[in-house]
Amino acid sequence: MRIALVAGAVAVLLLALVAVRFTSSSTAAAEQEDASLPAPSRPAFVIPKPEGLAGEGAPSRWTTVARPVSVREAADPAAAVVASLSPRTPEDTTNVVLVEGSAMDDAGRLWIAVRVPALPQNVTGWVPRSALGANSFVRTRLVVDLEALSATLLRGGRPIFEAEIGIGAPAFPTPTGEFYVRSKLRSLSPFYGPLAFGTSARSAVLTDWPDGGFIGVHGTDRPELLPGRVSHGCIRMRNEDILELGRLMPVGTPVTIR
Amino acid sequence: MPSEHSLETGLRLGEVDQDGAILETLERVQGDTRTGFLRNATIGGAALLGALALPGAGRAQSAKDVDILNYALSLEYLQAAFYTEAEQVRALRGRARRAVEVVGAVERAHVKAFQDALGAAAIARPTFNFRGVTENQRQFLKTAVAFEDLAVAAYKGQAPRLVSNALLAVAVSIHSVEARHAAWMRYLFDITPAANAFDEPLSRQEVTKIVASTNFIAAPGRTERKGTPRFTG
Repeated sequence: MRIALVAGAVAVLLLALVAVRFTSSSTAAAEQEDASLPAPSRPAFVIPKPEGLAGEGAPSRWTTVARPVSVREAADPAAAVVASLSPRTPEDTTNVVLVEGSAMDDAGRLWIAVRVPALPQNVTGWVPRSALGANSFVRTRLVVDLEALSATLLRGGRPIFEAEIGIGAPAFPTPTGEFYVRSKLRSLSPFYGPLAFGTSARSAVLTDWPDGGFIGVHGTDRPELLPGRVSHGCIRMRNEDILELGRLMPVGTPVTIR
Repeated sequence: MPSEHSLETGLRLGEVDQDGAILETLERVQGDTRTGFLRNATIGGAALLGALALPGAGRAQSAKDVDILNYALSLEYLQAAFYTEAEQVRALRGRARRAVEVVGAVERAHVKAFQDALGAAAIARPTFNFRGVTENQRQFLKTAVAFEDLAVAAYKGQAPRLVSNALLAVAVSIHSVEARHAAWMRYLFDITPAANAFDEPLSRQEVTKIVASTNFIAAPGRTERKGTPRFTG
C-alpha cells in the first residue's frame, strides 16, 4: 500500500514537471512566433463615435411631386378628388407637399396624406406614394401671429428668430391655418426685397391674382410701413430680417398663421 | 421563408439613376477614371494622401485608393440615408425600430469618416427616393438585408485592391461591422444570419447593377431659384 502511494506521488510529480516544461516551451515558441509577425497596421483614420439623430420628437416631413396627380378624399383610387397637384409651382420650382401621414389600401398600395396648396385653405388629401419623390425632413416651424404682427421661427420647438411683420390689410386678409414653405426665390424685384419664400397659403379674396394668389413671406422696399396691416395678404419683413430668415428656414418648413 | 439570396431576388432591375452621382463613382473605380476627376481627387484628397505618406512612385496608385474610398462613400451614403429615413418616418416597430437607430448612427459615422478623409475630393451626397420602402416593415427589412450583403461583398471586392495598408486596416474594420449588420438584418427578417462557409466578393459591375436596379437614386428637386415673385405682395 505504502509502495503504491509513493509510486503514485512520483508519477504525479513527473507529470507536473513534464507539464511545466511543455508550457514554458510552448510560451517560448509563441513569443518567438509573435516576434516574427508584423504588428497590426494602424488605420489611416478612425471612425467617429456613432451619434443618434439630433433633436427630440418627430421632424416634419415633406416630399416632391414627381408627376401630375389627383388628390383624393381618402386612400382609395375611387375616392372623390379634392385637388390636383403638378410637379412644378407657378414660380417654376419643383412642387413640394407636406406629409401628414400614410396608409395602405386594400390592394397593398401605399398612400400618403398631404397638405394641399389650394383653396379652400387647410385641406388635406391622399395621393399614391408612387406620385411623389424623395422625402426630406425639417425641424423648423414658422409661427405668424397676426395679432402681435410678428413672425417667429422655431427649431426643435425653441425660438431662433423673431421679426416684426406687415400683414394683409383688412380688405385683403392674410389667411389663417396650417401651411408650409414650398419655394425660395432670390427676388429680382425691389418690391419683394432680396428674398421671397413661397408658401402653400392662398388669398381667399384675390382669387384672380396672377399665378393663383399665393401668399409669400418676403422683404420690402417700404420698411417704414412695418409693423402694420399693409399688404395684399403676404407677410412682409425688413430686408435684413428676410435675409436672416433665409439663412435659417429651409423649404418644407411648416407655417402656422394664427 | 424568404430567399437566402436577397441580392438575386430582393431587388428588381430597372432604369438607371437619374442624376448618376453614385453610378458614376461606382463605374469610375474599375479604371475608366475621368481625367478631371482624378485631378480633383488627387488635389482634393491631398490631406489623405499626405497622411498616408506614400512614396512618389505610389502616387498614381494612391489616387486609385481615393477612388475606392469614394466608391465606399457612395455605398455608405445609400445606407445612411436609408436607415435615417426609416428612423425619421417612424413606421417600423419592435426590434427593427431599435436596430434602425443603432445601424443608422453607425452608417452616418462611416459617411462622416470618409468625408473627412477625402476632404474636397469627396463625392456629393445624392438624393434618394426610397419609394415607400422605409414605411413598410417587411419591404424595409428585405431591402436592408440586400444592402448589407451588398456592402459586405463590395468591401470584400475592393479591399485587396487598396495600395495602402493603413486604408486596408480601415476597410477591414468597416467590413466586419457591415457583416454584423448583415447578420442582424437577416435575423430580423427571419433568415439564417450566417448561412455560408465562404462569402464571395462582388465586382464593381455587379454592385452597380444592383444599385441601379433599386431606382432609389433620384433627381434632386429644385426648390430655389432667381426670379420675380408673383405672390400677392
